[in-house]
Formats: sequence, C-alpha cells, structure tokens
Amino acid sequence: MQRLLALIAALIVSLPAVAAPTADELVSRLRTVDERQRSSGDFQARVYLEQKEKGKADLVYEAEVYRRDAADKLVIFFTRPQAEAGKGYLRIDANLFVYDPTVGRWERRTERERIGGTASNRGDFDESRLADEYAPAYVGDEMLGQFEVERMRLSAMEGVDVAYPVVEVWLDKATGNLLKRQDFALSGRLLRTTYYPQWIKVFSPSKNADVYYAREIRIFDEVEKGTNTTIVFQQVQLDPLEDSIFTKAWLEAKSR
Amino acid sequence: MSTLFGIALRNLIQSRRRTALVGVAISGVTTVLVVLLALANGLQDNLVQAATTISAGHVSVAGFFKPSATNINAIVTGKTAIRALVDENVQGIDYIVERHRGWGKIVGNEGTLQVGLTGIVVDDEPKLFDTLGLAFESEYVDGGRDEVIGDARDLAQPDTMVIFASQAKRLGVRVGDSVTIKTETLAGQTNTADARIVAVARDLGLLSDFAVFVDRGLILDLYRYNDDTTGALWVYLDDIDRSEQVMRDLRVAFTEAGYNLREYDANPFYFKLPKVQAEDWTGQQIDVTTWRDEVSFLTFILTGFAALSWLLTTILVSVIAVGIMNAIWTAVRERTREVGTMRAIGLSRVRVLGLFLTEAALLGALASTVGALLGLVLVLGIDALSVPITADAARAILLSDTLHLRTTPVTLVSAVAVLTFLTTLSAIWPSIRAATLPPVKALQHAE
Repeated sequence: MQRLLALIAALIVSLPAVAAPTADELVSRLRTVDERQRSSGDFQARVYLEQKEKGKADLVYEAEVYRRDAADKLVIFFTRPQAEAGKGYLRIDANLFVYDPTVGRWERRTERERIGGTASNRGDFDESRLADEYAPAYVGDEMLGQFEVERMRLSAMEGVDVAYPVVEVWLDKATGNLLKRQDFALSGRLLRTTYYPQWIKVFSPSKNADVYYAREIRIFDEVEKGTNTTIVFQQVQLDPLEDSIFTKAWLEAKSR
Repeated sequence: MSTLFGIALRNLIQSRRRTALVGVAISGVTTVLVVLLALANGLQDNLVQAATTISAGHVSVAGFFKPSATNINAIVTGKTAIRALVDENVQGIDYIVERHRGWGKIVGNEGTLQVGLTGIVVDDEPKLFDTLGLAFESEYVDGGRDEVIGDARDLAQPDTMVIFASQAKRLGVRVGDSVTIKTETLAGQTNTADARIVAVARDLGLLSDFAVFVDRGLILDLYRYNDDTTGALWVYLDDIDRSEQVMRDLRVAFTEAGYNLREYDANPFYFKLPKVQAEDWTGQQIDVTTWRDEVSFLTFILTGFAALSWLLTTILVSVIAVGIMNAIWTAVRERTREVGTMRAIGLSRVRVLGLFLTEAALLGALASTVGALLGLVLVLGIDALSVPITADAARAILLSDTLHLRTTPVTLVSAVAVLTFLTTLSAIWPSIRAATLPPVKALQHAE
C-alpha cells in the first residue's frame, strides 16, 4: 500500500514535467501564431486608434494600413482627424520612415516609434514574427477569464531589433490564438499589457487558407497608469495591392 | 572755447525752466537706456550661466555612435584616449568634466516629461553645485516650506536625480519621491530605472525645462554602456573668450590623430540627431563645438531683446530730439537780437553755430550723466532685490527665476556719449539757422 502511495505521489510530482512542452513544441506554437496571421498576399484595413491618457484629451485617429508581408513592406496612412490627415509611415525592409505633410519631409525612425504618439508601435500593425524574434520558455497552464491558456516567457534573440527584450504571452489552448501579451523592460519592469479579445479569420485565395487578425487590440501602459490605447481593425481585404502603394511617392501624392 | 562754454552755461542757467524740462527728458531716456542695457547684460550672464551649467562646457568634445544605420546614440567611446588628447592639446584649462547623455521619459506622480538625462560624477564637479542654486520647497509644492530641502551632492548615491522646480511641479513630486525613467538602450530595447529625487534646483529658463541631472552609474546601467564611454567631455577654460580658438585647435588635433571628425555645425548636438540618423554610416564620429553653438537657438532671445531695446530707445530719442530742436528753436528766437549784436561786433558764423551746439552738448552731457547715475542706482537696487519672475514664459525667455541686471562703466559711458551726441546732433539744424541770420535782420528782430 505504501509503495502504491509513493508511486502515485511520484507520478503527481512528475506530472507537470511530463506535461511541459519541449522547446521545439513551444517554437512550433509560436510559429503557428505567426503563420495564421501571415498573409502570403497583400493585406489592407481601415484602422481606428484611440488613446486615453490621464490629464489629457483623448486622441482618436483613423488610418489605412497596407501590408505586403512577403516583402516586409508596410504603410500606415492617417486620414483623420484633419490635423493628422496625410501623415504616414512607410516601412521598407528594416527601415521605418515617417512623412509629415506640413513640412513635406521624410524622417527615418526606429522600429519602436510610437505610432501617432500613441502607445502602439509598428509591431502592432505588422505581421507577427514571434517565432523569429524570440526564444520561448514555458511558464505554465492557467485560466485567463474563461479561457484555458498556455503561458510562455519569450526572450529576444541575440541581434534581433525588437522594442521589448522580454515578452510573456498567453495562448488560447483551444484555438492557439494569442489572447494576452505583456512586454517587459531590460530591468524586468512590466511596461505594457495587451489584450486581444477578438480574432477574425478571412479566407486568403493566395494563401489558400484563412488569415487571422485581431479585430481589436487593447494596450494598457503599465508605467503611466491610466494611459491606454485601443486599435480596431475594420474592412480587412486581402486583394492584391498596387506596387506603387509601398513607395514614398504614393504616400506624398495621397497626402496632397 | 572757454568763452563759448561760459556763455552756453550762462544761457542754460538763464533758461532754467526750458533747461530743466529738456534735461529731465534726456535724463529719463538715459536711465531707460542704462536699465535696458543692464537687462541685456543680465540676460547674457544668464545665458552663459545656463549654457555652461546645463548644455556645454566652454568647449565640448562629444560625438555620435551608430551601431547600425538606423540606431544612433550621442556618446563618445574610448573617452580615456580622447581626454588625453584634449589635455595634450589645450592650454589654459581650468577643469574638465564628463557629461553622460541620455534621453528619456520621466514618469512622476502626476505627470510625465521628455527630458535629456545628464549623468555626472559628483566628486569630479568643482563648480556645478555653486552655480546650481536649489529652490525652496514652496516654489514647487503647494503649501511647501520656505526652505531648501535636500542636497544636490547626494547625487553621489546610486539611482538619484536632481530636477528643476518647474519640472517638479509638472511631475507632482518633491524631494525624496521616486520617479521612473523610461528609455531605449543602444540596441533599441526599452529599459527603465527608478530614481530618487535628492534635490530640486531653481529654474534656469528654457534650458532647464529639458534637463535633469542623474548619477553617472544610472546612465551606464540604463543604456548598458561600458565604463570607457561618456556623452561628452566639457572643457572649461581660464578665459571663456578663447573658446573659438580652442575649438579650432582641437578639431585640427583630432583630425591629425586620425579620428573621424564630424564637419563643423554650429548647432546643439540634439539638433543634429535627425540628420545623423538619416546618414548611412556606422561607427563613431567626434564633434567639437563651443558653448555658443550648443545654445545657438537661444541667440534669438538676445537678438530680439537687443532689437527691442534699440527700437524703444530710438523712439524715445526721436521724441527727445524733437524736444531739443524745439528748445533750441525757442532759444534762437528769444536771442535773435543777441545773435545779431554778436554778429555785428564781429563774431563769426562758425562761432555762433558753435555757441548753440555747445549749449546743446552741455545740456546733453549733464542731463545724460544724471540719467546714467540714476540708472546705475536703479540697476544695483533691482539686482540686489533679486525680484522673482513669476510668469513661466518670462522665466523661460529670461533664463532665470529672478530678475538679474548688470551694468559696466563702459555701458554707462556709452549711454552718456550716445545721448550727448544725439542731443548735439538734433541741435544742428536750428543752430545753423541761427548762424546764418543776417546781422541787420537779426538786430531788427522784435522781441
């Protein structure tokens, strides 16, 4: 009887170790998250950004986003409010440029540029590259509200240009969708918590599979308490885009 | 000449009311001019003090480091060798300090600020703490005490910060509170650090809105720099007027030593960042500038103030000139018969002209001297009172939180000379008219 109890106890103790996924499995799950969001063709959407900051008036922007993941190109073109209309970001390879129509000048910015002065950055609009940029470590399974999730701690790979050196993600065990993300500073301090409450899938003829996108992203600044940004994606289309869209000339012409 | 002088003096005394009236006007304008010039001098002092405390040494040896084409940091690597080169090539050094530079967001209890972080080593600072006056707590905390709280030398402790009074108000913090600094490392990753405020300094105008002092270790830790890295070497000279020459000498020395020297650009280092970022090179560039270059965007304040002073003075002098001309006209009219008599007994036209001009010059010299002395008293009095500047905009422009005026003997003598000259100049036309009156016509002139 004692032997049996000891065996049961040993099994219980070793159960998490048995259940813990391997590093390859974790990378595979991250790659699934990336792949599901990746469009082999083009991507365009209308985006609404709302920034609430303690002691300041709310900021609301409307913008058009154009993506060509295969070529690492991204355009964010602001259409509203009037004061911001015509401003735009253009990412070509590893370079992010911003265009200000009031001065008619392009400036190179870092990957960590706060888009439109909000808490969002380029990564929130671009394709997901978690598996390429971070090395995952398993933290555990837990409940996030009513969802059973898998929590991972991701560390930036050597030489990769990312804004946050450490990230934690919560993946829905049932669907594999990313539900929550926390970004940490080098010092270990929590900087942002992001929630992805709703994922939508759109069939991509070029990929011949569904492409997933978060319809809504809620970003909470954990350093400046009371500051949060909401990004809403609408009118997502995966039709091929003109090559000229991903050029400075197009953005300048459109901003006139 | 002494005869002319005597007659001119007698005439001025005889026409007491007119002399007093014009004299008071000239004195008033001189006083205004002296005060305005003292304000301009004070502004210049404030600029030099603010600039050489917050923005630069007399000469700054700084640089830009780009680990990749898109990433840029205003740092100097291999500071030991650079320091040795400066020591070797510059004569008349008073002292050299290091300034570690950074840029980040400070998050306080009630607000946030984007500021330049200046890392210092307390033991290496011979004069900073003498020029950095600390503010009373009541200046940045509602209901605070009328006494200085904290000690800026506590920056020697790790993770500490000194901020300025207007920043403390905006952040809603006081001495002893902690703030969070959020920035990006050289590799572009976000990093944070908590810093304790050990003192709150008095505002130094526009420059102090965007600068805080932190301990050097905090910058090294925040940006993950190695120990042989710094933001800039600030060279203080025995004579600040040698800054330009020393800068030129150092540029030659760095070029000869094989350093990649950035082309001279008379602007603050942060104005150059977008341009440097857009350039496609990687590695280190050294930049050598003077304190004037690092605050070149503020020279508009001095230029604007000088223009305003001269505009105001010109308007006042124009009014005075009309008054003087009118007074001399009246004198000519009153003394037409006298002029006729003098001309009839052989006084030449030139001497008549000289008589009236001497009268105007004497009036100008006496009145402007009185005005200059009055101005001196006012300047010394106002400066001694250390009148506080309450409006934020005025503090930003005047680069101080108290009104500072300074005059010099040269300024006073110049004001007297200018006003005397202008007074004499405005008397030329009526004096010529007096000198050219035909003696017969002048003698027939009815009183």
